[in-house]
Amino acid sequence: MVISVSIESENRDIENSMKETARALLKEKKVDVIIGYSKGTVPLSSAPILIRNVDEVERLVWNNLCYINLAKYLVPRIPQLIDPEKGDLNVGIITKGCVGRALIHLRTENQINLENVIMIGIPCNGIINRKKIEKEIGENEILELFTSGNEIIVKGKDFEKKFSFEDYVNELCKVCKIKAPPKIKELQGSYVGECQEVSSIDDNFEDLTEFESKPTVEKWNYIKDTLQTCTRCYACREACPMCYCKLCFVDQNKPIWFQKTTEISDIISFHLVRAMHLAGRCVACGACSSVCPVGIDLNLINRKLEKIVKERFDFTSGIDASKMPPMMEYSMDDAEEFMLEED
Amino acid sequence: MKSEIGKLYIELNEEFNFYAPIKVKGNLEFKKILNPDDIVLDYYNSKVPPKEILFPKTDILFEYKTDGKNVTEIIERTDLDEKNIIFGIRPCDAHSFVILETFFAFGDVEDEIFLKKRANSLIIGIGCNTPRSTCFCTSIEGHPFMKDDMDIFLVDLGEKYLVEGISEKGKELMSRLKWLSDADRKDIKKARELYEQAEHSIETKLDLKDINKILDPHFEHPIWAEISDICIGCGTCSFLCPTCTCFDVIDEMDQYHNKGRRFRIWDTCQFCLYTLHTSGHNPRDSCIERCRNRILHKFCYYPENYNMLGCVGCGRCIQLCPVNNDLRVIIEKLNSIKTKKEEKVSA
Repeated sequence: MVISVSIESENRDIENSMKETARALLKEKKVDVIIGYSKGTVPLSSAPILIRNVDEVERLVWNNLCYINLAKYLVPRIPQLIDPEKGDLNVGIITKGCVGRALIHLRTENQINLENVIMIGIPCNGIINRKKIEKEIGENEILELFTSGNEIIVKGKDFEKKFSFEDYVNELCKVCKIKAPPKIKELQGSYVGECQEVSSIDDNFEDLTEFESKPTVEKWNYIKDTLQTCTRCYACREACPMCYCKLCFVDQNKPIWFQKTTEISDIISFHLVRAMHLAGRCVACGACSSVCPVGIDLNLINRKLEKIVKERFDFTSGIDASKMPPMMEYSMDDAEEFMLEED
Repeated sequence: MKSEIGKLYIELNEEFNFYAPIKVKGNLEFKKILNPDDIVLDYYNSKVPPKEILFPKTDILFEYKTDGKNVTEIIERTDLDEKNIIFGIRPCDAHSFVILETFFAFGDVEDEIFLKKRANSLIIGIGCNTPRSTCFCTSIEGHPFMKDDMDIFLVDLGEKYLVEGISEKGKELMSRLKWLSDADRKDIKKARELYEQAEHSIETKLDLKDINKILDPHFEHPIWAEISDICIGCGTCSFLCPTCTCFDVIDEMDQYHNKGRRFRIWDTCQFCLYTLHTSGHNPRDSCIERCRNRILHKFCYYPENYNMLGCVGCGRCIQLCPVNNDLRVIIEKLNSIKTKKEEKVSA
C-alpha cells in the first residue's frame, strides 16, 4: 500500500517534531540558544530567529520558504552567539540537508568547531522558488502564500492562484539527495531527528544538458543577460554560508583587485570569480538566488561547477567530513585536463 | 487618455531625455525610453528606486588623459545640461528627491552633478491608487496622492489621467500640450474618491513622532543587538532605499592607454569597508553598529540636521530584505523602549 503524504501534512509533522526537540534541548540545558526559522512578516518570506527560552519555541516554523542557510550565523559566529564571559554558547541549529552540508564542509575547512553545535536535523521537503512565483504574478501584490495538499496557494486582493509544488520548487531541490543532514560517525551524538540520504534520487546533472548543448557565444550571452541587473548589493555573498572571507576579493582595496562598478564587465568578473571560489564548496542551498533583490538566478553557474568537480574529482561538498576537498589538496597525479580544454 | 502616452513621448522626446517605467528582466525599472511601446502603466512601484536616474549606481565624475606621467587633459561631463522628464514616479519617490537634494546641497560644497541634473529634471508623477501592504507614507506626513514634490501630478482614472500642473515649470509644459482636454466634474469627483480610498487602504501606521528623542539617548541600548541579530550585512535595504545617498569615489587608471577616470559607486553603512580606518580599526565593526547607524541616520540624524525624516515610507526595505528584518518591527521595538520607561516612572 502506498500512503501518499502531502507537502502540507509533511510540513506539519516536521514542525511538530522540530519544536518538540527544541523544547527538550532547551529544558535539559543542552543548548543555550536555538537558531531556526520564524514566520515572515511579508508573504514569500521567513525570518531567521534566535530562541533562548522554552516559551519562545512556539515561534519556530517550518514551511517551504525557509530559504536562508542558517550555517551563515556560525561562520563567523555572530556576536549574539558568544557570551562575553563563557565564550561560545551551545547552539542548536535547525538543520535541513544543505545547512548540514554547509556545517560539515565548514568543518572540513577548519572554520567551525561542531562540539558546541547540535544539529536538529529535519527532512526538508523542498524550498519554493519565490522569484518564479513573483514573476508569474507580475504587477500584482501577493498578500498570502501557503501550501495546501500538494499545491501552493497564492492570494492577493482580487485573485487567487494555484501552483503545483512540484513545478515551483527550486530546481536545486528537485535533484537534492541530501534532504536531511548527512551523518558523520564521530558526531553521532549531536544529531537529533531523522537524517538520511535519499538514494532514490539519481542526480546525473540532466538539468544542465540544455545549457551545455548551446554554442559558446550563447552561453556567454546567457551569463551577460542573467547578470545585467545586478546592483552589487552582495546579498548573494552575504547569504552564502561558504562566503566567510574576512575581506572578500572584491573588497580588497590596498591595492584594488577588482572594480566595483555596475558596468557589465565588472559585474561578470565579480560573479564568475565568486563562482570559481565556490567550486567544490557550494552546498547547493540556493540561498544566493532566493535572496537576490532583483531576481538573478545564479544556480546554473554553480551547478555547472558542482558537476565539473564531481566528474573530475568525484567530490561532493559537505557529505563526508573525512574526505579532502579537491581545492584544498595537492596531488602529484592530478591530471589537470582542464588546462588543455577550451570550453 | 492613457493611450496618448506615446504622443506625449513623441512630442517631448527631442527636447528631453524621457524616463519612464519599463520592464527589465521581469523587474520594473525607471529607464530612458527608446520606444514608447515599452512603457508600462500598470504597476505598484519599481524595486530599484528612481533615485538611480539622478544618482546612478555608477556615475563617472570626469575622465582624463595623461602623457604617461602627468594629466594632460580633463574631460568634463557634457550631459548635465540635458533636460529630463521623469514620468510615472510615485509620491514617495518624488519626496525622496527633496530629501536627496537637501543632502547634496548641504554644507559649503554643493554636489554639482546631482544638483544640475535635479534642476534640469521635470517630474510627472502619478498618485498611488493601490498602495502595497508594506507602504507607510502616511506615517511620515506623506500621502499616496501627495503632489507637492512634483511638477505635474496625474491621477490614474482607469482609461485616462487627470492632469494637474503643480509648479510653474509643470504648468508651462502643460500649456504646450494643446491636445489635453478639459476635465469634467465626474473626473474630479472620481479622483477625490480614489484619494480617499488610497488613504484608507494604508494599514501600516508607525509612530514616528519624536522618535529621534527616543533614539538619541539610547545609543548603547541592548536592543540594538536584538534588532541586528539576524542581519547578514548585505546592501539590499540601503541600495533599494530611495533616500540613501552614500557613495564611494574611486580612481581608475588605464596605463596602457594613457587615460583614466574618476567615478562614484553606491556604498552603504552595512558594508565592512564603510568606516574602516587606515589603522585597521573600524568603529562599526559588526552588524550591531551598522544596523544602528542605518536607523539612526534616517530617524535621528536627519530630523536633527535637516528637520525631516530620512525615510519616505515606500516599504522597499521591508519587501526585499533577505532575512525579513522588518523595519516596521524595528520601529515598534524602539518605541517600546519609551513605553517601558514610562511604565517604570508610573510604577
